[in-house]
Amino acid sequence: MKKRLIILFLFTPLLIISQNFSKEDYIFLKRQEYIKISLENHNFNITKNVTEQAEYLTSNKLYFANEAMHYDSFTTIENIDAYTYIPNTNEKIPVNYIETKRTFDNGVFYSDQESKNFVFPAVTKGAITNLSYKEVVKDPHFLGLFRFGTFVPTKNAMLTVEFPRNVSIGYINFNTNDIDLDFKKDSNELSNTYTWTVKNINGFQPEDGSEAVLYYLPHIIVYIKSYEENGQTHNVLNDVTDLYKWYHSLVNQIDNTNLNKVYAIADKVTKHLSSKQEKAKAIFNWVQNNINYVAFEDGLGGFIPRGAASVCDKRYGDCKDMANLLFEMLNHVGIEAYRTWLGTRDRHYSYFEVPTPMVDNHMITTAIIKNDTIFLDATDSYVPFGMPSAFIQTKEALIGIDAQNYKVIEVPTQPAHKSETTVTSTFNLDGNLLKVHEQRALTGYEKVDFISNYTFKKDTKTDEEFFNTTLSLGNNKTEYTNIKKENFNNKSTPLVLSYDLNIGNYAKTIGNKTYINLNIDKTLSKSGIDIEDRKYSKKIDHFFNKKFTTTFQVPDGYKVNYLPDDLSFNHPLYGYHITYSQQGNTITQNKTLYVKTLRVKNDEFNSWNGFIKSLIKAYRKSIIIEKI
Amino acid sequence: MLKTTYLLLLLVVSTHSFAQFHTTYNWVETPKLHPLSAEDANVSSVGILKKHIVEYVYNTETPDPIRYETEHTIVRVNDDKGIARHNTVYIPMYEVNNVVKIKARTINAQGKVTILNQDNIKEVKNVEDYGDFKIFAIEGVEKGSEIEVLYTVEKTYDMYGSEILQSDYKINEVEFVFITGILISNAKAYFTNTHFTDTVVNDKRAKVLRLNNMPPMIKEEYATPDANRISVVYQCYPPGQNITQDMFWNNVSNNISSQMFPNEINPLALADIDSITKHQETASVFKKVALLDNFVKNNFNIVKNNNEELSDLNYILKHKSASKYGILKLYATYLTALGIDFEIVVTANRHEYKFDPTFFTPNMLREFMIYLPSEKKYIAPDRVDYRVGEAPPNYLGNYGLFIKKDGHYLAKIHQADPNYSQTNRVIDISFDEDFMTTTLDVNQEYTGHWAATYRAILSLSPEQTIKQLKSFLTASGVEDKETLLFETQNNNINQTEYNQPFIAHSKVSSESLIEDAGNSYLFQVGMVIGTQSELYQETERMNPIEMSYPNEYNYTITVEIPKGYTVEGLKSLNINENYKDTEGNTICKFESGYTLENDKLIIKIQEFYRSNEYDKDRYEEFRSVINAASDFNKAAILFIPE
Repeated sequence: MKKRLIILFLFTPLLIISQNFSKEDYIFLKRQEYIKISLENHNFNITKNVTEQAEYLTSNKLYFANEAMHYDSFTTIENIDAYTYIPNTNEKIPVNYIETKRTFDNGVFYSDQESKNFVFPAVTKGAITNLSYKEVVKDPHFLGLFRFGTFVPTKNAMLTVEFPRNVSIGYINFNTNDIDLDFKKDSNELSNTYTWTVKNINGFQPEDGSEAVLYYLPHIIVYIKSYEENGQTHNVLNDVTDLYKWYHSLVNQIDNTNLNKVYAIADKVTKHLSSKQEKAKAIFNWVQNNINYVAFEDGLGGFIPRGAASVCDKRYGDCKDMANLLFEMLNHVGIEAYRTWLGTRDRHYSYFEVPTPMVDNHMITTAIIKNDTIFLDATDSYVPFGMPSAFIQTKEALIGIDAQNYKVIEVPTQPAHKSETTVTSTFNLDGNLLKVHEQRALTGYEKVDFISNYTFKKDTKTDEEFFNTTLSLGNNKTEYTNIKKENFNNKSTPLVLSYDLNIGNYAKTIGNKTYINLNIDKTLSKSGIDIEDRKYSKKIDHFFNKKFTTTFQVPDGYKVNYLPDDLSFNHPLYGYHITYSQQGNTITQNKTLYVKTLRVKNDEFNSWNGFIKSLIKAYRKSIIIEKI
Repeated sequence: MLKTTYLLLLLVVSTHSFAQFHTTYNWVETPKLHPLSAEDANVSSVGILKKHIVEYVYNTETPDPIRYETEHTIVRVNDDKGIARHNTVYIPMYEVNNVVKIKARTINAQGKVTILNQDNIKEVKNVEDYGDFKIFAIEGVEKGSEIEVLYTVEKTYDMYGSEILQSDYKINEVEFVFITGILISNAKAYFTNTHFTDTVVNDKRAKVLRLNNMPPMIKEEYATPDANRISVVYQCYPPGQNITQDMFWNNVSNNISSQMFPNEINPLALADIDSITKHQETASVFKKVALLDNFVKNNFNIVKNNNEELSDLNYILKHKSASKYGILKLYATYLTALGIDFEIVVTANRHEYKFDPTFFTPNMLREFMIYLPSEKKYIAPDRVDYRVGEAPPNYLGNYGLFIKKDGHYLAKIHQADPNYSQTNRVIDISFDEDFMTTTLDVNQEYTGHWAATYRAILSLSPEQTIKQLKSFLTASGVEDKETLLFETQNNNINQTEYNQPFIAHSKVSSESLIEDAGNSYLFQVGMVIGTQSELYQETERMNPIEMSYPNEYNYTITVEIPKGYTVEGLKSLNINENYKDTEGNTICKFESGYTLENDKLIIKIQEFYRSNEYDKDRYEEFRSVINAASDFNKAAILFIPE
């Protein structure tokens, strides 16, 4: 599973309007889009005229001359006109070579997306590049979005939409509170024209550990709500009901041949099971275990799941294919289940605000068993039955009930106690070598994350090296032996890891005292936020608890000289508690740590850093033993 | 002797048989799962077979021979990772005129066979940098399945080719069959002790290489694993011809030199000369070249597409855009105009391909540089992040073809200045009165490749990368640091003097470096040198040791001992690990030691690597030097009241 980055709804400390771009290397002088919508015989003709003009203020980043315009089977790109203008010499050098290309994408095996590529000639300090082209939008559901800001500053960004008077348009702005957005409506006998303009807007570049860029980038989504013809209103995407109707019309096109094959599997998998809960779990696990994720994006095929029988035969599919297969299998064994659309956490829109396909990018199945609503996402091969995949928590799920009816329900955030790591360690000192036996039990997303990383990121590393680099226990000289893994599966039983550690160069003996730090696990110690440079909020993948019980056996001939005081940091959303105690020759450290938030907003940075600093200091505390 | 045998053979086989081997080669009709060893059942996937057949077919009716390539693989997948690794197939269509056949099937653990539906083979055109492909997903795969793929393509005649045989999973049976019949040919295998043997296939002369139990190539540090995979290269000459390696090299060299050493200077280029030298006609050769390099990299773009005009000098000068070959012509023209002697270097990235001076194949002619013999320096024309200096690390140590106006030579690309890349850090450490806060004042100077990298990041990279660099240059290993000051000097990428240091000055404070231990204080002094990587080796070292480039670090760490305290635990500051070459010269070492001067503890560290290549058999000694820095990183000292 991908580690995804974080969030931010409200950020204020940022100045996003500026007049002074003199420290920039490259800026857009203008970025404009003119959308013209016309309607004839219930058919829309939609074109976007795009104009971009950019200036090289230095010659540092000439690579910005590489231009790519992407399109798929829902759009075409026409009339590309591009040239570089050199003010010094008043020269105009046209682009005379444009290539059509494809790319391989890690996440999508086959996609119909192509791009028109070219490189602006003769760019250097002072050069101004000019691009204009026409994009024909073939389906009125895909009007797209317009970004007022982009990766570098823009002096003038403008979106215009011209549409017939009998057409009704919807629009919604995002993150525009801190920019000076001008909006004008014009109309004549035939059409209405809406224009949004913003001047001198800063650049937006992504940050590690933050939410997806659209969480903070000012942008607008425009969509066609409806049109009137002969006194009748025809809805396109007036609201989520229309979106659902359209989705439903697409799933009606699913190939339902040979479903008996699918039913046979469902029957076989659930043969000896009686409760609906058990049956649903068995079917979910079967799909997780037997259908491999391979994604295709090919025209409307990107929206219509492939037939469940074909998916079973091929043993592969993408999210919608798995969702539809689950839907068929579950309903067949008498479990109420629905096809469900939703956006992952990097799409932060609501169905009620954005009734267009921009709102979602994922499909799952929802099962209702007694009063429980269970979200089933088999694209996550390791998530236990009953938990949604981590990356859809908090998102609205559009649950398709039947041709007319749907429900929108929020996918609940999973509480910390469902994703727990419980660590039991015993420490012994052998000369200067610290020997540790440790057992680690992981549940929920903690388990999912470990198994996913082990399965897909271990590469050609040995188990020892993988454990050393991912758990980072003690120091980077720690040796791992007797590594065991139990319950390495998608079940709800905890994953149990156990191993022995030899940690050299760790315990420090100075004079007759030996210093031993029991915090060999330094979870979160690298999570401080650099407030000065940080722009956007921190994203956290899931809530979790970590519980450590560590015992240290004081060697013969030694006595305890010093035990650190108990330490804690308590915030409702994050904190820790560490205690030390001694009984006879045994020292016990109990440590608990919790994070119960999915994001740390900018106004929380100081508090979060206070937590991390306090934790780092607590991690630094050693026990001291002394030779008798 | 050998020649006569071949001639006899030739006479025999040329009389009959145009039967093409690929037309009769097939998979078994009824497949069965292959038995697996316990070891093979325990890995994500294991190759049962990889067979690659290259067949040159020649008959007198066609002007050129036809080349058929057949690939046949069987892989057992044991888990999700194995499935994800093998359930999608990409067949490159580079030089392919005709797809003869593509077949794939899956045999699952129960023996059920699923055949690939031909309709599900997709065509993908002009994939960025790679050309066209046929792609498909394997159908019916479960854990424990075997995936079998067999395809044959007909390719344009080309005298040369290569095939990588080793992969990142084990393959039990590997076979490369090279059928050339009456055509004279030559083949060579790399990174294996097994040789080709001569044989006859369908009455045609052939060579075959068979390898059993080929281990997976593993990713190791200080290594170029991709370039070290077992592979083969081959040549198959046109009918009736026998070509020596020297003839190949001469041909390339003549071809390139005719384009790179102009007798007349293009007038557009000549007009640029004043803008380049800024009227500093008497400047040193190095400075002129530095000015030229800056000029080109601030005014021209390297373009990767199929536009042939990008290697036409007039087009380049007008559009300020060039292919990576075209940009060489531009440099060559300007250098000629400036009267500076140069050579063109053709080589490969050593992480991708080891250039073999004894066997010609165009596959290794991938990268270009310009060598300045008078300066012993290189220009990397297509590397916007580099400026004239030593060769970029990716080429260092690889062989190259050096082309002069009147000839060529093959030589290893080496670094002329042994002290090119140095890091000097002076760290002053003080504490506040209650031992809460440690302040580090760090002055750093970087030269060579380090300086080049940091300047390039500051000029070319997005904000996030610049932030990471800043974090690295301000006490990288200290987790709770507060950066009080950070400034850099000599940070402009367009340098004109040789190897000026990049200077960074920073001041940070931390509350975690010092630990209250009863009435004493434990200070983690080792952490101030930043996190140091630790080299693991759980399995036998596979790859030769190659570093990025020779380098050296010098540290002077001054710790102010607080009044009323003495310091203990200094022994851990003395470390000395080194590696001597066969002549007894220390070629890499880590050495640290300390002195006490009044109220100051002064620690000096020197760490250097004089070569970028080390003997694989002495890996443990090399590792002990690398890991010594990681040992120092763990050093702690104790302040106790007097």
